[in-house]
Amino acid sequence: MKSLRFSILILLAGVFFSCEKEITPDLETADPQILVDAFITDQPGEQVIRIANSLPYFTASTLPPVRNASVEIKDDLGTVYIFTEKNEAGYYVWTPADPDSTFGRVGGEYALEIKTGNSTITSTVYMGRVPEIDTIQFTYEEESPFNAEGYVAEFFAVDPQGVGDTYWIKTFKNGAFLNLPGEINVAYDAAFSAGSNVDGQNFILPIRTSINPLDENEDGSLKPAYLPGDSIRVEIHSISEDAFNFFLQAQEQIDRPGGFGELFAVPLANLPTNLIATGQWENRVVGFFNVATVSQRSEWLDPDNLPPKNP
Amino acid sequence: MRFFSHKGLLSLFFLFVAFQGIAQGNFTISGYLKDASDGESLIGATVVVEGSTQGAISNTYGFYSLTLPQGEYTLVYSYLGYLTQKMPISLNSNQSIDVEMRLEGKELEEVVITSEALDENITRIGMSVEKLDARTIKKIPAFLGEADVINSIRTLPGVSTVGEGASGFNVRGGGVGQNLVLLDEAPVYNSSHMLGFFSVFNPDAVKDLKLYKGGIPARYGGRISSILDIQMKEGSTKKLGVQGGVGTIFSRIAVDAPIVKDKSSFILAARRSYIDVIARPFVDVLSDGGALNFYDITGKVNYKFSDKDRIYLSGYTGRDNFKFDANQGFSWGNSTLTFRWNHLMSSRLFMNISAIYADYDYKLEFGDTPSDKFDWKSRIRTITVKPDFSWYLNAKNEISFGGEIIRYDFNPADATTVSSNQETNISLDERFSYEGALYVSNKQTLGTRLSAEYGLRWSMFSYVGPGTIYEYGDVEPGKRRPVVNSYEAESGEVVSSFNNFEPRLAIRYKINEYSSIKASYNRMAQYIHLISNRTASIPLDVWNPSTNNIDPQIGDQIALGYFRNLKNNEYEVSVEGYYKQTQNQVEYIDGADLLINEFLEGDLLSGEGRAYGLEFLVKKQKGKLTGWASYTLAKTELKTEGINNGTWYPTRFDQRHNLKLTVIYNFNERWSLSSNFAFISGTPSTWPTDRYEVQGYLIPHNGNNSRNNLRIPAYHRLDVSVTLKGKKEKKGKPRKNEDYWVFGVYNLYGRENPFSIYFTQQGGRPAMGQPVPSTGVQVAIIGSIVPAFSYNFKF
Repeated sequence: MKSLRFSILILLAGVFFSCEKEITPDLETADPQILVDAFITDQPGEQVIRIANSLPYFTASTLPPVRNASVEIKDDLGTVYIFTEKNEAGYYVWTPADPDSTFGRVGGEYALEIKTGNSTITSTVYMGRVPEIDTIQFTYEEESPFNAEGYVAEFFAVDPQGVGDTYWIKTFKNGAFLNLPGEINVAYDAAFSAGSNVDGQNFILPIRTSINPLDENEDGSLKPAYLPGDSIRVEIHSISEDAFNFFLQAQEQIDRPGGFGELFAVPLANLPTNLIATGQWENRVVGFFNVATVSQRSEWLDPDNLPPKNP
Repeated sequence: MRFFSHKGLLSLFFLFVAFQGIAQGNFTISGYLKDASDGESLIGATVVVEGSTQGAISNTYGFYSLTLPQGEYTLVYSYLGYLTQKMPISLNSNQSIDVEMRLEGKELEEVVITSEALDENITRIGMSVEKLDARTIKKIPAFLGEADVINSIRTLPGVSTVGEGASGFNVRGGGVGQNLVLLDEAPVYNSSHMLGFFSVFNPDAVKDLKLYKGGIPARYGGRISSILDIQMKEGSTKKLGVQGGVGTIFSRIAVDAPIVKDKSSFILAARRSYIDVIARPFVDVLSDGGALNFYDITGKVNYKFSDKDRIYLSGYTGRDNFKFDANQGFSWGNSTLTFRWNHLMSSRLFMNISAIYADYDYKLEFGDTPSDKFDWKSRIRTITVKPDFSWYLNAKNEISFGGEIIRYDFNPADATTVSSNQETNISLDERFSYEGALYVSNKQTLGTRLSAEYGLRWSMFSYVGPGTIYEYGDVEPGKRRPVVNSYEAESGEVVSSFNNFEPRLAIRYKINEYSSIKASYNRMAQYIHLISNRTASIPLDVWNPSTNNIDPQIGDQIALGYFRNLKNNEYEVSVEGYYKQTQNQVEYIDGADLLINEFLEGDLLSGEGRAYGLEFLVKKQKGKLTGWASYTLAKTELKTEGINNGTWYPTRFDQRHNLKLTVIYNFNERWSLSSNFAFISGTPSTWPTDRYEVQGYLIPHNGNNSRNNLRIPAYHRLDVSVTLKGKKEKKGKPRKNEDYWVFGVYNLYGRENPFSIYFTQQGGRPAMGQPVPSTGVQVAIIGSIVPAFSYNFKF
């Protein structure tokens, strides 16, 4: 039966005969960009901002750090958070004064200012709200063309009333962040896009189930998502609408369907940024600044003691 | 209204009288030209007065009319592949002469590659017109052994596609949505089956097709790039016929027969693919309602009430299904219905009125339980009424006039989501609009060498309520425009309207019997827009009217050509050059959200375009070896504020070199070999310069903000097919049935022709804290040899 599992793919392949190969074509060159990767949360501990330069696309080394920048975030109450370069070059860290204090508050406004060379890079964001996660459930799935035998996870949370909440849902399996492009999971209210007005209700499918890892076997079939003994942690981060669009477009760009699916793909386009630079980096800044509050829930898969089903 | 003042009417009257005066002492010969074997009308057959340049060409319905002074004449009726008939007449009254023409014999039938008089390319006024008939289409080696209309026209000069699997076709640097595709006058909004591998037109039901790339006559309008006019067969008025075929991917059957002999006939043709039926016993995924197929049904009936009146009713319906199970999947389809009434108002005034319904829709359904699902339907429907008149004024002037009114109903999204039993309607407003046109044109012979066809079309378009109307603010070009105002338009309220004068001109100068020079100019206006920012055109693209935020597209084209026939019309050679300028082409901001987006128009940009090229064609029409070679050298560019730093950039379908060879060789009565070769320059694509990482994701980035800055490698492919005809005799007696086998190989040398190259992080889970490895991946949609066979029959 195993060989029949991906029969739909074989069927499609039988019709379309598509194939792929990795290549390294010559690309145009451009002046490097400055990257600011600043996703700040209200979680305990240090907060980190990475500043680096871009590299030619096929250069497979660590991005060159931008050193000796001055980095600070000022909130609407006048508090200034200073980020300093500590152990690792290009990584600027804010450490809370006492271990119990955290960064920011829901509804607060945060202005990032970075000075490097003759350039100033700025961005201002608000910290949005998030709903609590009510439950995470595991469901046993028999082997099917779309699923390996195992458990799939689904979380339930109700988007608060009011249009315009945007979220990034991050999942950790056994403590490791699920970081494949296909695992990017963002929501606009309870659904996918502005203007659809799916508000104040449970997150719709497939947002609720996009917390399952997409690891593949060598033959391209999916590995079981969760097995007894695995743990899961789901975090909902509040993000700005701009950041929501950033992730949506990032997923479209880097989660490539491949093969025959490329007929449906969109051409390469640069991702938006919410950073503005003056001086030498004017129009050459990439990356994003976001300040998030986070709600989270963890669960451990014990087949003999599955949490009760959501009604 | 001033035009209709008494003065205006009076001058029209005098004009009419004046023409009547010219016509004094003249008589008209008119009638219909038909195939003697099945009664099918012959389109584009010629009637010439022997020893002169005076003549006429039969129209879409086989009608011709020729007005000459009283006298003795010999009329020569000819049509390629048919026996030429000479008819002496003494003209002293109006005469009605219907002519049934006989095929020249089987041998010639095999080699016919155009159904036009042999020197028609020299004498015809129009240029940039490509014609194919069903027999030619069936001769070209085809993907999976199945003859196909759109795949056939892609072998012609100036016609291209962005790659295998892409829907539609591109003409002289125009987009897929800039072609008007007509099936018996009904617009077909998406002509593809199996994405773009096949088209919806069943070759068994197609009589004739014409592709206008330039010099477009005034009776056509609505798209700026080309008109593909496909005419369906009427069905035999003589005897019952059945033809069909069994192939690798689908089977087809067509039946045609007289209903009332010589008065009424029908044709009904159907096709269905069956890959899922064959696969079902072996494949568990297709149980419970899964499907992977398409079907179509094409039909036509006609009835001749009298020598003056005939009606036709033709229709098409077809659908493609990609379903994972009974509740989930994706499907699309067209339906059209055309009612036509031919009426002969006099022997010199031919009228046709058509009423047309056309519908294209697609459907996406996901979620396997009623408590959690997502449904999305999108649709465009139109109703058209279209009167057309041909007035055969005299042997030197043929005047056409008429009009058209179209009502559009756009339904971009009728969509709901159900989440834990909570249903939310996320549909978008339906949108309505009207398009109208009036035209007049004259085909005039100016002496023995010079002929011209000139005309004017006036088109108008209104976008009307009900609906929510959004107005958008100005931002830096290339960014999403915010809504600054919105209001509710009432039902029937005109939100915005447009009109355009579209002059058309084509001139032919005959240098001698074997060569001519032609020139043309046309302006075209396009009021509806195909919205797509994908790599290829796909069935999910939606049509959008011109609105308060989108202006109509305008295209101007000039073309010049030299046509020459060699060796007693055995070879046809032509060179055409064109230059095209377009305005208000629809473009998209980076990251545009085109699916179910109420604020879609805030993501659209408007650009200008230019395209120019040279097209060479050599055709061999007679002998054992026939075929054609076409080569196009072209360039197509756009300029849009907010894209490519506001400078010119090539379009996705810009192809510098496009060489295509089609060769058919007849060994003997039973065996023939045909072959296709294509070489096409790589199409442009946007590639990154740089990489960076955000939250551990590798992001490709173009630091120069350039669009379509590099090209994928060139495309080339060779196809071969062999046709074996069944024996003509059985046990010494002639067989009643005809049959033949086609064995074909597509992509004979198995080249992995690149469709696109994409850039992403390497597969597998990136290690935290390590640089994410980058890769480029070249995709071939068809990366292997594709063999196929089909068995075809006719009785």
